[in-house]
Amino acid sequence: MTIPGGGPRSRGPPLPRTRSSSEKVTVSSVTSAVTNRRRRLRELRRAAPFVLPFLLLFVCVYLIPTGYSLEQSFFAVKRSGLGLTGSRTVFAGFDNYVQVFHDTDFLDSLGRVAFIGVIQVPLMLAIALVLALMLDSAAARGGRLFRVAYFVPYGLPGVIAGLVWSFLYAPSLSPVTRLLDSAGIHASFVSDAALPFSIANILTWAWTGYNTILMYAALQAVPQETMEAAALDGCTGWKAALLVKVPQIRPALLMTLVFSIIGTFQLYNEPATMKSVAPNLSSTYTPIMATLRSVSSNNFNYAATQSVVLGALICVLSVAVFRASAKRTDS
Amino acid sequence: MIKRRARLTAAAILAATTIMLSGCSSSSSPTAESKGPADITFWGWAAGYDKSVALWNKTHPDIHVKYEAVTNGGAGGYDKMLTAAKAGNAPCLAQVGYETFSSFLAAGVLQDVSTYVEKDRAEFPNWVWNNVGVDGKAYGVPVDTAPMAMFYRTDLFTKAHIAVPKTWDEFAAAAAAVKAADPSSRIMNLPTDPYLYAGFAWQGGAPWFGVKGDSWSVSFDSPANRKVGDYWQGLFDKGLLTSYPAFDASLYSAWSKGTVWAEVGPVWSASLIRDNAAGSTGKWGVAPMPRWAGSDAVGNSGGSATAVMKDCAHPKEATEFAMWMSTNNDSVSNLIASAAILPASKSGLANSALDAPQAYYGGQRIYQLFRSESAKVNDGWVWGPIMSTSATSLGDGLGRIHTKKGTYQDALDGAQKSTVTALKSQGFSVS
Repeated sequence: MTIPGGGPRSRGPPLPRTRSSSEKVTVSSVTSAVTNRRRRLRELRRAAPFVLPFLLLFVCVYLIPTGYSLEQSFFAVKRSGLGLTGSRTVFAGFDNYVQVFHDTDFLDSLGRVAFIGVIQVPLMLAIALVLALMLDSAAARGGRLFRVAYFVPYGLPGVIAGLVWSFLYAPSLSPVTRLLDSAGIHASFVSDAALPFSIANILTWAWTGYNTILMYAALQAVPQETMEAAALDGCTGWKAALLVKVPQIRPALLMTLVFSIIGTFQLYNEPATMKSVAPNLSSTYTPIMATLRSVSSNNFNYAATQSVVLGALICVLSVAVFRASAKRTDS
Repeated sequence: MIKRRARLTAAAILAATTIMLSGCSSSSSPTAESKGPADITFWGWAAGYDKSVALWNKTHPDIHVKYEAVTNGGAGGYDKMLTAAKAGNAPCLAQVGYETFSSFLAAGVLQDVSTYVEKDRAEFPNWVWNNVGVDGKAYGVPVDTAPMAMFYRTDLFTKAHIAVPKTWDEFAAAAAAVKAADPSSRIMNLPTDPYLYAGFAWQGGAPWFGVKGDSWSVSFDSPANRKVGDYWQGLFDKGLLTSYPAFDASLYSAWSKGTVWAEVGPVWSASLIRDNAAGSTGKWGVAPMPRWAGSDAVGNSGGSATAVMKDCAHPKEATEFAMWMSTNNDSVSNLIASAAILPASKSGLANSALDAPQAYYGGQRIYQLFRSESAKVNDGWVWGPIMSTSATSLGDGLGRIHTKKGTYQDALDGAQKSTVTALKSQGFSVS
């Protein structure tokens, strides 16, 4: 079982996306179709050794599993009686999809990650942008040290981070809770209401540095001349950073936004780990947890359907973000 | 541009399908009837299984067993087995807990080996056989059982002059007495792990499932289950129980510090407490599980079998090994020493290793108690065919109790509803 969009890992490093080489070929209207085709073939042959390894992996671990899941989602296993006499796999049409859209557990899980995303993604990206601008500014000292420091949490596997944070959150073990208690504040990090924020906090801690580095790399590419020109026009300091630098790294900002949205919808490690200290965290807390639960229940077809719906939703969201941003650049 | 991209996509999908049909699929070679020794693969996770397998291989050159350790069943091992069975590369034998056995049966991944175990029927009591098959059929060989008992702090009970409770009524009275003796202490932690809680339902004659002819009955919401659930809800509502998460460090620390005085749990709690509450060495004792009025029945929570998987090419030999592992004196001695199991077989229960005094429990011979209690386990318990769904749903409900947003009854009702829905949607008959 594979989940379209990367499987049950939360927020892995970005896959390099290559533009298809055909797009770069500018076709002049005078060249005849034949030479044009010949040239394209030649280019393809030249590009093949570079593209094929990626393409092969992409097909084997991404397209085929996605296609397989899609196929599986249209079938269902039917048993009869006690179910001990074997089962048959029958074509189910859209039955599984109808079930998904009536499955309150799954819909709730989508609502939860959407809520966490709405709170956490803008906050994290804002912090990351401020940190990146500070790293990039001429006045920054110890840049290398801070770059590494910001990046360190990302290097820690999500499960380990989840475990460590669990200890900080666990009501009876947490030094933070104890400290607050002694100050007369009785707070719980694992109550139903607090859970989304506790999880968002881990995500922010783990991923801000990663996004900072992505933005910082883009900021480095902003030409020095532009900033000098801005300075001549009297635009310096924070004003220059926000009005001149930030618009120029829009593609990087967009990329971090899309990755963050994808990552949030694929949330798994952190809540799954926290379940040991928060029994009230339901086993279908996130869409991927809900999908894995279907796998454990030996309901592979339904799990496939859930994966397809999740994958499609992420796809639509990503495209929507790109579209919305493209429109804004055009106008 | 869009058209071209669509064409490219189509080509990619075509290529993908071709590769899928030829290259990517792993070729599983079905073991042909070979003349050499029969090869049997065995997946399990319990400590000591590897040693028992090595013992077997030393003495049985004709049947070679290859042991492969997998992740603990509940932590992913079962998923791996089910997925392997679907892919056609499952092992011959697999360690499967009783609670999951029916689910494996219903998934159609097991093989009927009734004829091969017939001669050894007398080795296991009826309630154990009921856990490895339905309708008197057997699909594997039982290894161990997990009858329940009461673990308690002898020092604290004695100091507070509280008698060891023999019935659940006495247990409730003792719970109040513990709180009165030390307001910061409680008698026990709220049982919220679904499989641990199953042991209480099991004892109370409150099965969750039953087989009626050719259909399953589901009874999480039965009056008997209500009675057991209400008992624990009552203790919790009176503030007589702690509410640490099950199997959490905070609970272990409370055991160690002496703020939780007892644990009614299965035989494997003995190692759980010993390994996690080192601070209270020598201070624990074990007494029989408190009884319901008018009954001497005990609950069981855990235990597992060696299941014979469907595609096993040598079921007879595989069953022979499994039976040997569960009954041979050397193998059982090894399993008791390595994994502290309570053997399910009668010959295994006779093993003298069970008579050894346990230092952590103040020198008490605790396994003698479990040996005699294992004969009193309630007979009528049946595990359901989609336990993973039932248990997670029940577990989600039980997990809400400490937040006071749900009760035992709510959790049981939720499990009833989700189980019946899931059974019907997968085509099982439900009566």
